[in-house]
Amino acid sequence: MEEVFIPALGMAMEEAYLEKWIKQEGEAVNAGDVIALIETDKAQVEVVCETSGTVGKHRFQVGASVPVGNTITVVLAPGESE
Amino acid sequence: MGAREEMQSMLRMMMMIRNFEETADRLALRGKLSGGIHNSSGQEAVAVGVMSALAPDDVIATTHRSHHHTLAKNFSAREVMAELMTKVTGVSKGRGASMHLGDVARGHFGGNGIVAAGMGIGMGAALGIKMAGDKKVSVGFVGDGGMNTGRTWEAINMAAIWKLPLIVVVDNNQYAVETFINRVTAGGDLAKRASGFGLPASTIDGQNVIEVRDAVAAAREYALAGNGPTFINMLTYRYYGHNTGEKGQYRTLEEIEDWRTHRDPIEQFAARLFKEGLLDQATYDEMKVSVEAEIQDAVEFSENSPHPDPSEVMLNIDSGKLRG
Repeated sequence: MEEVFIPALGMAMEEAYLEKWIKQEGEAVNAGDVIALIETDKAQVEVVCETSGTVGKHRFQVGASVPVGNTITVVLAPGESE
Repeated sequence: MGAREEMQSMLRMMMMIRNFEETADRLALRGKLSGGIHNSSGQEAVAVGVMSALAPDDVIATTHRSHHHTLAKNFSAREVMAELMTKVTGVSKGRGASMHLGDVARGHFGGNGIVAAGMGIGMGAALGIKMAGDKKVSVGFVGDGGMNTGRTWEAINMAAIWKLPLIVVVDNNQYAVETFINRVTAGGDLAKRASGFGLPASTIDGQNVIEVRDAVAAAREYALAGNGPTFINMLTYRYYGHNTGEKGQYRTLEEIEDWRTHRDPIEQFAARLFKEGLLDQATYDEMKVSVEAEIQDAVEFSENSPHPDPSEVMLNIDSGKLRG
């Protein structure tokens, strides 16, 4: 199971605004796919998964301010569950 | 140390650095470090090759990307990782973080965030060595991004006219943040440019740890004999972005993949040792396990270490007198 999380992209960055879910719960994804769009202090950032599988539960809703390092969803390998 | 032990020790050091950097990068992305890092994955042979040719009390001065140099100069994974978390057990007592690793008493004159400054500091150290009459050398690391910076050539000129025991090592990963070196280098050939200062200058394969070690060993002998500085441009490649989280779109995926699969310094060296009968599969597997354990221990040690006490903020302020 891969945890997809809000990356720390600068020393002053403490949280990010969850702008949009690109991949829905239960949707199949490939490594490198954009899962969500977030906004930091400086830029819009694509949150990308590193593995292929199925998107798990969205742990935050659009509009949420999510602290750096928090997992926003997971990518499940075949047979895995949350 | 026999040849077999020496080679295996070089291989293990490169593996340790790779594991350290990839672990640190993940921690940085999760917000677990005090700031980001400049990941040196891919450049291990430069660091390990250089240090393998140096004596313990030889001096190095390095750059913003310095974890690999620092670990290869026998600073432990624990004290470097702790510094990245600005813990009091870190190599700079938690005051420096990623870009300011160093300990003058152990021959490490530090990393810093100024382009090509480390090379100038290395030149100053070489002047100090000569004035003191010591039998040692100084290595000034500089990146390709420092090759079109004035202070680089001022320092090289001074080292040349004063015949200082300086070895200029260009840790040339070919990209100054997003800028490809060949697009910004008049004349195109860095070694040729350096040779204009009347010193031995060459370009070598920075992915070949033995080639690096031998080139630096020759430069060291040359310097110890009183002949002055040498310039060595080591061609290498960084696998990740300039800094943590940087999503570089200035390099093609094919280019990165080509360096990773065909020119990886660790895989190339391991293959060579297998071929020469200096490494067997069981030993190699054991190394992977022990490296993983060493880095996990370093992370736990660092997480469990305290930050410096705020009441000690005035300690370790340099009063003009360096330790050691």
